[in-house]
Amino acid sequence: MESRARAAAPASGAAAPRKLWPGALAMLAVPVLLLIVGPHLPSYPLRILDMILLYAVLGLGLNIIVGYAGLLDLGYVAFYAIGAYSWALLASGQFDIHLPFALVLLIGASLAGLAGILLGIPVLRLRGDYLAIVTLGFGEIIRVLMNNLDVVTNGPQGIARIDEAHLFGWTLSTPDDFLYLLVAMLVVVFLFVWRIQESALGTALSAVREDQDAARGCGINTTRVKLVAFAFSAFIGGACGVVFAAMQRFVSPESFTFWESLVIVLVIVVGGLGNPFGALLGATLLILLPELLRAYADYRLLFYGMALVVIILARPRGLISRQYGPSWLMRRLGGGKC
Amino acid sequence: MLTFDHVTKRFGELAAIDDVSFEVKPGVITAVIGPNGAGKSTLVNMAAGSYGVTSGRILVDGVELQKLPKHRIAHAGLSRTYQNIRLFDGMSVVKNLEVALVPPRVGSLIANTFGLSGRAAAEERRARCHAVLDRLGLAAHAERQAGSLAYGQQKLVELARAIVAEPRVLLLDEPAAGLNHGETEQLKQHILALRSPDLAMVLIEHDMKLIMSISDTIVVMNRGQLLAQGTAGEIRSNTEVQEAYLGQPGAIKDIEAAARGRRNRVRLREGEGLTWHQP
Repeated sequence: MESRARAAAPASGAAAPRKLWPGALAMLAVPVLLLIVGPHLPSYPLRILDMILLYAVLGLGLNIIVGYAGLLDLGYVAFYAIGAYSWALLASGQFDIHLPFALVLLIGASLAGLAGILLGIPVLRLRGDYLAIVTLGFGEIIRVLMNNLDVVTNGPQGIARIDEAHLFGWTLSTPDDFLYLLVAMLVVVFLFVWRIQESALGTALSAVREDQDAARGCGINTTRVKLVAFAFSAFIGGACGVVFAAMQRFVSPESFTFWESLVIVLVIVVGGLGNPFGALLGATLLILLPELLRAYADYRLLFYGMALVVIILARPRGLISRQYGPSWLMRRLGGGKC
Repeated sequence: MLTFDHVTKRFGELAAIDDVSFEVKPGVITAVIGPNGAGKSTLVNMAAGSYGVTSGRILVDGVELQKLPKHRIAHAGLSRTYQNIRLFDGMSVVKNLEVALVPPRVGSLIANTFGLSGRAAAEERRARCHAVLDRLGLAAHAERQAGSLAYGQQKLVELARAIVAEPRVLLLDEPAAGLNHGETEQLKQHILALRSPDLAMVLIEHDMKLIMSISDTIVVMNRGQLLAQGTAGEIRSNTEVQEAYLGQPGAIKDIEAAARGRRNRVRLREGEGLTWHQP
């Protein structure tokens, strides 16, 4: 009994920082700063900021599958598309259905989560490259479906005349409005994925990533755990899709190509796999870089590609590697042992 | 109690295990020995669910393991270490142990994640892990990355991970392979300290000195068949065993020397292709 008590003391000492506020304050500074500075920005930079936040949230969501569980999903855009089309179909003149935004946010995210589970059941027995190829195929299937299901989705012409979103009496129409919404989403999703990472579920996912067979040998139901990861990840992707459709007020299959999936994967690979801070930094870089390179017109994609290659060569684990996550920051600033 | 009941395993035409039956009783250390290719590792891999059996049954306290999905075997009370270390290299030592304590039901896993009864349970899991690390002298390394530890320490972490969930059957697949003399001595003390009336221990080892000094009962395998079973003294004087090891009856000293010569010092991860061949 005595040895247990003695063992528990350093355990919590190493796990939790002595003081919580310095780390919490440092992390809160980012959304607060965004909320203060954001609305004063001109329209164009503000739109870019919105896109950065949207991709950051997408990156946080995809990180659950790719970063934590180590399963390469190249079709994440499918979940995003399901969310976007949910808003486009349930709040537009298309079928003259006009559901409230909060409800569609829930429906879209849940449908995407369900799609994640349905996709996961057959494909999660696959590993590595095979899984990547099947998910890529799924992404394409959803896009082709949207493209050809004319009666429902209007095909390649897409759906216009989408409703303005209202959330609890607050109208979401300008880029400022979406800034507030996206910052709130970022905070919620950030806390959500951080919580997953620190919980037993995160431990199980890490074990699956490191050595799936040994994880099973330790009693982890790897299939179930991966399904849960897929569902959570898809849910977040779906929620992002709903917000995207509400922001653009127009959706078409063009917005959901393989390129989009690739950008989201790049966001987390460049930023740092399995690190929530990495998703933020990666999104900032990947959205900002093409805008900064606009001056080079024709050479833009060339420079973009070169910049990515240089980053990956210089930092193969991404800009911020896995261990320097939010828990590390809390310990670092809160005086705990690192 | 672990029971092998008329177990046979065929790989194509080859019978790797041929109608083997024996029991591993709680409270004692049972060693399984035999020349290379005798089927020792196949036995462990079948019990742990990595291979299926061709016929026969393997039971833990009456529960037939082959009817369970692999992850349920751990919950049935059987855990193992690996011949080639298989730690979760990128995770800390204490997290490696926590994997073995993850709640089995997905519902409770999700509830745990979102703080419904989670904190206390997580604290308790952590405390259990630290208690085991303490016991094996690994407390100082708890927060280090498992992959960064020395080989001997990694072997101990694997042992810690195998015992943290308090299994009823523990399979140790060559725990002393690659360890130096001092480390082997330390491992021996740890294994002896683990002996308890609730735990059935199976030890697969090439280090005859270690086996003879700590095993309560020894099972000798040869070419997939059970050759002999008995105490260290009985096995030493068994002429069949001597023949299996040396091709002719000989003194136990020679058996130990022959076994030492067989010890594989090159350790590779499974599937890397290089295998060690007997001269």
